[in-house]
Amino acid sequence: MPTYLARRIGQSVLTVFLTLTTVFLLVRLAPGDPASAYAAPNATSADLARIREQFGLDDPLIVQYGLFLRDLFTGDLGTSYSFHSPALDVVLDRIPYTVTLAVSAIAVTTLVAVPLGVWMARRADTRRELGANVLTIAGQSMPDFWTGVMLLTVFAVVLPVLPASGFTSWSGLVLPTATVAVLQLALVSRLVRREMTTALASSYITVARSRGVRESALTWRYALANSAVPLVTALGTRFAALLNGVVVVEVVFGWPGVGSLVVRALETRDYPLIQATVLVTATLAILVQLLVDLAYPLLDPRVRLGKAA
Amino acid sequence: MTTAVSAGRPSAVTARDLARATATSQRRGARFKLWAGAVCTALVVLPVALAGVLPLPGANAQDLSRRRLPPLSEGHLFGTDQLGRDLLSRVLHGGQVSLAVGVLAVLVSGLIGIAAGSAAGFFGGWVDAVVSRFLEAQLALPLLMMLLLVVALFGPSVTVITCVIAIAQWPEVARLTRSLVLVEREKPYVAAARVLGLRSWSVLARHVIPNVVRPASLVVLLLLAQAVLLESALSYLGAGPQRPFATWGRIISDGQDYITTSWWLVTLPGLVIAVLVVGVNLLGDGLRDRTRPRSRKGA
Repeated sequence: MPTYLARRIGQSVLTVFLTLTTVFLLVRLAPGDPASAYAAPNATSADLARIREQFGLDDPLIVQYGLFLRDLFTGDLGTSYSFHSPALDVVLDRIPYTVTLAVSAIAVTTLVAVPLGVWMARRADTRRELGANVLTIAGQSMPDFWTGVMLLTVFAVVLPVLPASGFTSWSGLVLPTATVAVLQLALVSRLVRREMTTALASSYITVARSRGVRESALTWRYALANSAVPLVTALGTRFAALLNGVVVVEVVFGWPGVGSLVVRALETRDYPLIQATVLVTATLAILVQLLVDLAYPLLDPRVRLGKAA
Repeated sequence: MTTAVSAGRPSAVTARDLARATATSQRRGARFKLWAGAVCTALVVLPVALAGVLPLPGANAQDLSRRRLPPLSEGHLFGTDQLGRDLLSRVLHGGQVSLAVGVLAVLVSGLIGIAAGSAAGFFGGWVDAVVSRFLEAQLALPLLMMLLLVVALFGPSVTVITCVIAIAQWPEVARLTRSLVLVEREKPYVAAARVLGLRSWSVLARHVIPNVVRPASLVVLLLLAQAVLLESALSYLGAGPQRPFATWGRIISDGQDYITTSWWLVTLPGLVIAVLVVGVNLLGDGLRDRTRPRSRKGA
């Protein structure tokens, strides 16, 4: 177990490091000059050169990378060009908003998708289930920015009951959560249906049923418990993906999270800010994946960590 | 006819029982999905394909005296946008770009995915290790963020966007192909081909791959649906093919400024995307249902 944990943490650190390096190289290979985005519109070329020197942008790439690594180990990710404050602080200010949105979306998804998926598995291949099935396909087919704008139109413009954008009160959380949850819900409920259909057809269910175990116990205590590992994996992966930035939904609702931050950082070629965002979100996402893996033995006592899967 | 038969039929199973059986209703469900999917897809694809032939105003023909006309007015079925351009025409012409990008991206990702996945599954060893690490790494990356970065790097041309979507999608094909090949390579015909003296490469290319292409290609439709969604999301964020291409995401993001006064600018293009993607997803799902061996034993 400790060796397993050490190996997994090592792998995770390596993945974050490789991701950061890729991003470091990508942003610097990209055309577009951070200096001209930073400078005043009437800046002369001498001004631009001075800014580039100040940011160390005219050093050779390898020198920039060396300095980046040195600063990384001291926890310094540079100063954001557009916010004029430490990039890491800018990201950490935004992170709670993204985490809030991700947590509430995953909570709604779990609460709705699990019962829905179980119902679909138990009623598999009836007409009503076919209807629900087609609805979940529709749910995963709508572009999320469109769902968002539609919800905005209905609940913030036509019936002005909810705030349209930003985060001023908790009610501002409702529409972004609903938008994210529609897609996640469709995906997760289909997974639950698939897993539960297989589980309900297994022989241990037949045996338990023949011994007089009630149907509700068969469904929830036997079949669902046996579907827990793939279900938690899927929810974990979805949650990690949401932490990596619900970019589109955040842009639609002007949500002050890291997703809308990264779009702005890319537009202004704010290298330190892009790197800090990637570092923080990738770390969080990988941490979630690690926790999910560590939860396997709790969900299924047959799983032993560290043994080949 | 039925009564005559059922009067003396030796079996207690009636036609009604058969119609209610799980296998029948599974088939009925698959058939419904295939039909509904084909109708939805055709509803969008045919007009898009025929956009050049249909009697429509040009997609970029502006008429500032007819700005933001509601749908069904003055011969504009979908109304007009903020510059007086016919919205239906813009949606159909934009659809040509979106669909072309989607189809090309799926072809590219399918080729890469099948090649990498089958090599990993067949040869195992270091090939498998390299491919699998790539697959895992891509799962860990913030996908949309990376796509936006790459588009910023190479410029938002149609080629770049196609490649970006293909890169985003190949892991799915590769993982599926790898698992199919792992099963396939243990079959006797592979051993027989080896005994006949064929080299590994030719066994893989001439015997194994033809046997996995069909099941692997079933995901293609589902990928096409995702590709269309991804392309429109990139366009929405301003990283789609540049003007004068009016792609779907761009039309919606342009129209968003007017939702308080002109609902159709966002609603109708989004509806078109949704109908197409629902159609393609239904087709893919129906095909998968139909080819999947019965997973349930009764109950």
